[in-house]
Amino acid sequence: MPIWSMRLEAGGAMLMTDDSAPFREGFDQMLATAAEPVWLTFRRRAEMDRFALLGFPTRRQEAWRFTDLEPLTAAAPLPMAAPLPMAMADDLPSPASLALWLLPVTTHRLVLANGHVVPSLSAGPPLPDGVWLASVAETLRRRPDLLEGAFGDEDGALAALNAALFTDGVVLALEPGVTLETPVEVIHHTTAAGAHARLHIALGAGSRATVVETAIGPVGDGAAAGPVTSWGNTVGVVTLGADAVLTHLHIQAEGPAACHTAAVRAVLADRARYDACAVITGARLSRRDMAVVLAGDEAEFRLYGAYLLDGGQEATLSVRADHLGLGCRTDEVVKGVLAGASHGVFLGTLAVAPGADGADARQVNRNLLLSPTARVDTKPELEILADDVKCAHGATVGSLDEAALFYLQARGIDPETARRMLVEAFAAEVLDAAGLPTALAELAHRHLWRWLDGRDS
Amino acid sequence: MSDITTANRPASNAPAPDVLDGIVQGDGYKYGFVTEVETDDAPPGLNEDTVRFISAKKGEPAWLLEWRLKAFRRWRTMAPPDWAKLDIAPIDYQAASYYSAPKAAAGPKSLDEVDPELLKTYEKLGIPLGERAALAGVAVDAVFDSVSVATTFKDKLADLGIIFCSFGEAVREHPDLVRRYLGSVVPQGDNFFAALNSAVFSDGSFVYVPPGVRCPMELSTYFRINAAKTGQFERTLLIADKGAYVSYLEGCTAPQRDENQLHAAVVELVAMEDAEIKYATVQNWYPGDENGKGGIYNFVTKRGACRGARSKISWAQVETGSAITWKYPSCLLEGEGATGAFYSVAITNNRQQADTGTKMIHIGRNTTSTVISKGISAGRGQNTYRGQVKVLSGADGARNYTQCDSLLIGKRCGAHTVPYLDVRHPGATVEHEATTSKISDDQMFYCQQRGLTAEDALSLIVNGFCKEVLNELPMEFAVEAQKLLAVSLEGSVG
Repeated sequence: MPIWSMRLEAGGAMLMTDDSAPFREGFDQMLATAAEPVWLTFRRRAEMDRFALLGFPTRRQEAWRFTDLEPLTAAAPLPMAAPLPMAMADDLPSPASLALWLLPVTTHRLVLANGHVVPSLSAGPPLPDGVWLASVAETLRRRPDLLEGAFGDEDGALAALNAALFTDGVVLALEPGVTLETPVEVIHHTTAAGAHARLHIALGAGSRATVVETAIGPVGDGAAAGPVTSWGNTVGVVTLGADAVLTHLHIQAEGPAACHTAAVRAVLADRARYDACAVITGARLSRRDMAVVLAGDEAEFRLYGAYLLDGGQEATLSVRADHLGLGCRTDEVVKGVLAGASHGVFLGTLAVAPGADGADARQVNRNLLLSPTARVDTKPELEILADDVKCAHGATVGSLDEAALFYLQARGIDPETARRMLVEAFAAEVLDAAGLPTALAELAHRHLWRWLDGRDS
Repeated sequence: MSDITTANRPASNAPAPDVLDGIVQGDGYKYGFVTEVETDDAPPGLNEDTVRFISAKKGEPAWLLEWRLKAFRRWRTMAPPDWAKLDIAPIDYQAASYYSAPKAAAGPKSLDEVDPELLKTYEKLGIPLGERAALAGVAVDAVFDSVSVATTFKDKLADLGIIFCSFGEAVREHPDLVRRYLGSVVPQGDNFFAALNSAVFSDGSFVYVPPGVRCPMELSTYFRINAAKTGQFERTLLIADKGAYVSYLEGCTAPQRDENQLHAAVVELVAMEDAEIKYATVQNWYPGDENGKGGIYNFVTKRGACRGARSKISWAQVETGSAITWKYPSCLLEGEGATGAFYSVAITNNRQQADTGTKMIHIGRNTTSTVISKGISAGRGQNTYRGQVKVLSGADGARNYTQCDSLLIGKRCGAHTVPYLDVRHPGATVEHEATTSKISDDQMFYCQQRGLTAEDALSLIVNGFCKEVLNELPMEFAVEAQKLLAVSLEGSVG
């Protein structure tokens, strides 16, 4: 894989181009105008150089062999960094469209438009003591210590690009022993190319929080085909202290001309618990990379997720769980429903480091193909370097059970309804198993129903 | 990430180190001896002249030389695969010699004419030649380095119209068949090692079973690498015509040697309508010593094409040898209702590395495949199952079931599972299951409490773990394989 391509110019002079070239102008402009701490400027430059070295991932790389970024990289002009922290009225979600995605309870809400927190749409009750919840921009002004050192550990070219170009984001930091009862609601509304937002969550020892992260965008005319017109590229950094518990629901419902890429890195200390749930239905092209490091003893990671795709959509869910501590537990259940000419990809790696005895890890990926043109690629991987472990994974691909369809029809249910019931049951099972708090579970189910309704119409 | 590892932790609830931990030196490689025979080697190095030299030495027709040269030109443009979970020291392809034939005044006509040194080698290996062949009821096409020196039971097979001969002979006697099928399953440019083999393959076996014939005996070949610094590049081509049945056994042992030896074989199977091929391998090449010195590099391309409706191909392998194994016996399920199967036991001990598995490509309607893989890691061995199940858009009603289990013995080994499932048809059902575990202290205690030694207990448990695969082997091999498992794991307990 050439890291950069070299071109011999007519005069014999050598010109080096790399994938960072289209971003450089906007990048330099941003650095010149932003009043940021010096360490951040250095970090941004280093990350931009890292991206230049890596370039956009290609299908020649093992981790990306099923994900084709071509619709994104071919979109002309290439996504640029938004130079000004100024959200235009066009970029804001309409109250009606926003209402569809709100939790049915009081929340601490932060709405981002193209990577900038919009104060007018953000609201919530007063924060309890020991809780810091603010935009990245504000945090950099008032509590830069919360962010210093929290950059650059994420693997991958897109995370590097995010760290170089990020415009804003959300920081949630809880001091030890604090429980934040009210859920935190972060809504990304993306209409333009190149919205690089960050989400930093740091829970001190014994603290608890619930975060819902929703990605939305213009709905458009419904067909997922043609060029990509918006691109949201987010990075999440999760640090859980000893005994901390984080519940993290991710809903991705972007429009059919959107590209959505996200990387989440979580590090868990002793007995920390990370409960993650992801429901992915949107975007023409999406990819979510989760890297969870169970560093402490008896840390626990649970992921329940579903991707439901139709038309020409392509979605990748990639999860790597590294077990380093003693007696760590991982439980992953991911289901896929693929209709139309969609393409779903699940890449799951369970890794147990030498000496990480007592690891108990389980991974299940089940897929339902609803059409002859739909396609699924699944790669559940085990990497075991300790012997006192219990690791298992399973993957299945199949279609709706003819016998179950017949059973329902024999009881007077029409084929369409019967099919819908079976698909719903298949997907809802994983949402139920996630054990989400009621309000979050309702939102996740509502999302599922909306997807099913959209297919009926 | 590695800086947060748990190096300083006390090994809680770990088995007592004297039971399951550590590797003690075994008795050394049991088949480690070198036969002193003069060889007629090609000068080291690889270029078009080498290819021409090999072809001329073997007296090949022009079309085959062209075929080799085409492969060589493809090979030059290719890079060795790096995706496997293997740590391979760079290989200098120019340092090896690519042809080595035992010197003989003329081709031997009978066993009496065969070099007595060679016969002694076979004796040590226990190959049933001559009378022993008749007693064992096995036809042997013995490959000593690169040239077949004796073929038995040929007449008996010939009566049925079965062709079983060395590859070189097949090129001379049955050029039409060879030309028709050579490279039809594994094309010249399929991968780096297959291209290398296509350019410089020395000899191998050729089998053709005519329509409706059931081969009455297990066909078997012993491959044996001998001369130092000589990679061996067998080429096996096996064709079962309509309604034919054949079972083929392949077993390998090699003398002890300190330098790594490259082995890049290609095996092509073709099964026509209603035909069935069973292909079994016991591989026990020199794995290197306990420090990872020496040992064979086993980079093999094996693939079968189920061309006709209801054809069947089944691969069974017991991989205990070689320093590095890179091997993925595969099935192209083209005919309607074709069936593919893969049964594998792979053991890595000391510093052995194995990256092995299968590819099941479902092309035709109602094709089915079964994959059962058992990986055992001991010492500092690294064992990877890498398999792909692909269901193409025409494969309505395709079914696959995959099960891969890993067993870990000791604290410093690794077991990895890398399955790829790629499904493009809603009428397909694909299931994959994998588990990783260790031999429990309870199991060991139970056996030892009843008077078994630690080694016997381990052997018993491992044989039970592998039973599903061993059951698929022909009788002779099943016995040998069970012994091999025990020998391979010697020193990993006690």
